[in-house]
Amino acid sequence: MIGPSLPFDIERRFGLDARALVSALEAALATGGDFAEAFLEYREYRSAFMEEDILKDTSESFSLGLGLRVWSGETTGYGYTNDLSPDKILRTARSAAAVAASGRAFPAARLVPRPGGADVYRVERPPDKAPFEAKIALVRAAYEACRGFSPLIEKVKASIQDQIQYVAIANSEGLLAADVRPLVRLTCVGIAQRNGLRESGYSGGGGRVGLEHFEGSASPEAIGREAAREAVDLLDARDAPAGVMPVVLAAGHAGVLIHEAVGHLLEADFNRRKTSIFWNKAGKKVGTPEVTIYDDPTIPASRGSYAIDDEGTIPRKTLLIEKGVVRGLLQDKLSAKLMGRTLTGHGRRQDYTDYPIPRMANTYIDRGEHDPAEIIRSVRKGLYAERFTGGQVEDSGQFTFSVSSGRLIEEGRLTAPVKQATLVGSNVDILRKIEMVGSDLAFGLPTGTCSKEGQDVPVNDGCPTLKISAMTVGGK
Amino acid sequence: MAAPASVPDDLALAERLVRFGRSCGADEIEVGIGDGEEFSVDVRMGQIENLIEAGSRGAGIRVIKDQRTAYASSSDLSPEALERLIRGAVRRAELSQPDPFASLADLSPVRIDAASLDIFDPEIEALPAETKIKLALETERIALADRRITNSHGAGFSSHIARTALASSNGFAGAYAKTFCGLGVGLQAGDTDHLVEEDWHSSRIFFRDLESPEAIARTAIERTVRQLHPRRIGTRRVPVVFEPPMTASLLGFLFGCVSGTAVYQRSTFLADQLGRKIGRDGLTVIDDGLMPRRIGTGPFDAEGIPAQRTVVLENGVLKRFLCNTYASRKLGLPVTGNADGGGVGPNNFYLEPGPHDPAAILRSCDQALLLTRTLGHGLNPVTGDISRGAFGLWIEKGAIVHPVSEITIAGNLGEILRNIEMIGSDLEFRGAICGPTIKVAEMLVAGN
Repeated sequence: MIGPSLPFDIERRFGLDARALVSALEAALATGGDFAEAFLEYREYRSAFMEEDILKDTSESFSLGLGLRVWSGETTGYGYTNDLSPDKILRTARSAAAVAASGRAFPAARLVPRPGGADVYRVERPPDKAPFEAKIALVRAAYEACRGFSPLIEKVKASIQDQIQYVAIANSEGLLAADVRPLVRLTCVGIAQRNGLRESGYSGGGGRVGLEHFEGSASPEAIGREAAREAVDLLDARDAPAGVMPVVLAAGHAGVLIHEAVGHLLEADFNRRKTSIFWNKAGKKVGTPEVTIYDDPTIPASRGSYAIDDEGTIPRKTLLIEKGVVRGLLQDKLSAKLMGRTLTGHGRRQDYTDYPIPRMANTYIDRGEHDPAEIIRSVRKGLYAERFTGGQVEDSGQFTFSVSSGRLIEEGRLTAPVKQATLVGSNVDILRKIEMVGSDLAFGLPTGTCSKEGQDVPVNDGCPTLKISAMTVGGK
Repeated sequence: MAAPASVPDDLALAERLVRFGRSCGADEIEVGIGDGEEFSVDVRMGQIENLIEAGSRGAGIRVIKDQRTAYASSSDLSPEALERLIRGAVRRAELSQPDPFASLADLSPVRIDAASLDIFDPEIEALPAETKIKLALETERIALADRRITNSHGAGFSSHIARTALASSNGFAGAYAKTFCGLGVGLQAGDTDHLVEEDWHSSRIFFRDLESPEAIARTAIERTVRQLHPRRIGTRRVPVVFEPPMTASLLGFLFGCVSGTAVYQRSTFLADQLGRKIGRDGLTVIDDGLMPRRIGTGPFDAEGIPAQRTVVLENGVLKRFLCNTYASRKLGLPVTGNADGGGVGPNNFYLEPGPHDPAAILRSCDQALLLTRTLGHGLNPVTGDISRGAFGLWIEKGAIVHPVSEITIAGNLGEILRNIEMIGSDLEFRGAICGPTIKVAEMLVAGN
């Protein structure tokens, strides 16, 4: 009954009969739930780690499991198991069904296999099939390039992590969809030391790609050198200034600001609950006309991309803010149903132990008109923020993010390197202060992970050079 | 749900896998089996939003052959899968380079009786789902009854029963069960464009030790509404008073800086400071895995090293780094029972309370920031530098005058440790890392 259009044989991969899934969906609806869904996952994860000039260890991990959810009105019941025997699956379905109590049983529709979305994966040499030796060679190359960059480099850590995730989703509406998602990242940390002062630098590469990705500009040598360069440069950096000043965000890495300051608050669950400051701002102007923001899960090879989301929806490029006006939200099935909106394909979960929630994929500010050099020239005294270590936002719109390195801007020129600053603000305020947007859209390091409600998912974000007219900068 | 595997079953399986690994050629092998039962319910606006009930098991394996290490883990515990995984790990060990420090822990003659630690509450196993749901509903109901509260992030109750079994080719075999439960609520106040939010929760080993719905709701309300109508302040250097949750967050950063792993990796500013005076008199920090009924307590760590009490800082002097076996061999320092995964984790890591009533600490300030919450990631263990978004209450002449927002605080952990002027008497063991109110002589607060 499993058709040929799915990317892999579900029954074989998960070692179960598809009839067990249908029985589970029926059991899940037996107490009166109005929707049931089974999420099957098998994941292989491998890594290799080098430090102290030694390839320290390798690791291999397999996980297999099933998550079952049931809706009864706005209530979700969820159960999971890593024992896929028909008996255990039925028990899990019954425990998820306990939230429903109307007693009116709905029959589950017949499962119909549905082809996936666009092919967003770019893999010639699959990391999960490659010999460990090939991956260890990449780690070693990054390590040695970092080590050899400068005598000031005191310690290096390099690692590669790859995974292949097989997912299948069956629901009581009859949907049956599947996806096989590759993911790899190579990262390097360098610590530079001079006269007792230590600084660290970081770089990395990867995405939904194969090992051939590391043959191009994202070579392990380039990754190692970049981590070393950042650490060495920081030794000469002075503390960032503190106070309110114009801030220019470098293209690429500063996408994390858009992710934190805007993206999270456009996730539908926060708006449905009216906890996001955007909940009543659909169609309203919240920012300058310079600001257009998208989330696009279909960017080929990008770390945040997927062919179907974790509810089986084919994702689409979603317009969030257009010329400063709120145009859309990131939807999962539950929020879309309760809000009466269409799906956007942003229902994601960390693994089978979690139910899906609306998440970002690849979030970015669209390119603008300004030459990046012109943007810097427009600032008399301010901060140019280049590299970031992360950020955080709360629903009230207050956010913060950490700048690891940057430059001072004095009289329209980049001058002294500075380190360790924190930018704080509220998103209502910052969107109104984005004065200039550059023509140089770029994405940040493809190694990022976003956490929400204890669930981690791979994401990417990007932006062109941006000028914010005034922002609170906290130095050291 | 099916009856979960019992601890003795898991231990027998772990021991069998150790023997199997040795027969495959591993010089040393360590097998841990974890078995968890999870219950959690989130309620919002008086309705159940999510209810999770589930169980899962998993195995983690470390193999050493010719001083070469490989790790493996699996959630498929069928004998075939596990044997394949171990054979693979033994083969994979050859890919690593020999590391003279790679070795499992030495078997300790000390055995700690898990029962003496009081970390399993049988009441949690027996607690009906209805009771747990009612507690979450009750907590949110009390909070929403306050007219100043305008929205709810929801309330939640969760409980967890975790069983751990560990066997190792050095002869160690041990197992224990531990319970956790938690109850909390998140709230918002103010109108859409001037929202403030905060949450409060209680986590304990024993159900009867949890704070009541009333107490949790009241604290959450108070902590939320006190942030309403914040003002901005100008950039300045002032004393900063840390509330206990903020002291805990600072201690979390300190933990990362006294971790033996960070020390041998040279990624902590304290790497060369052992035996030196790095903090004020009276500053004593302890890591203790033996405290009955505490969240961070357990009879042995992830390598089978028995729990102990370690004085990390004594009267400001750095006495010990917290080491797993690898860091201990690398640094030539004692193991401290902090092995956690491949690294080092806290047991109960806390700052000993001082003589001062927290109210008296506030009264001692002419002008200061009472730090209530931070946001962001601006902690750099390599330098000790701290730079974070912050929320707080402004203090003038010993009294709170108004909330402040959109500020950052900046400082350096090394400087802070030297500048802790007062330590409060209000230590409460709310989590694995905790501390009392402290007053730091001066930090940079950046605002307008």
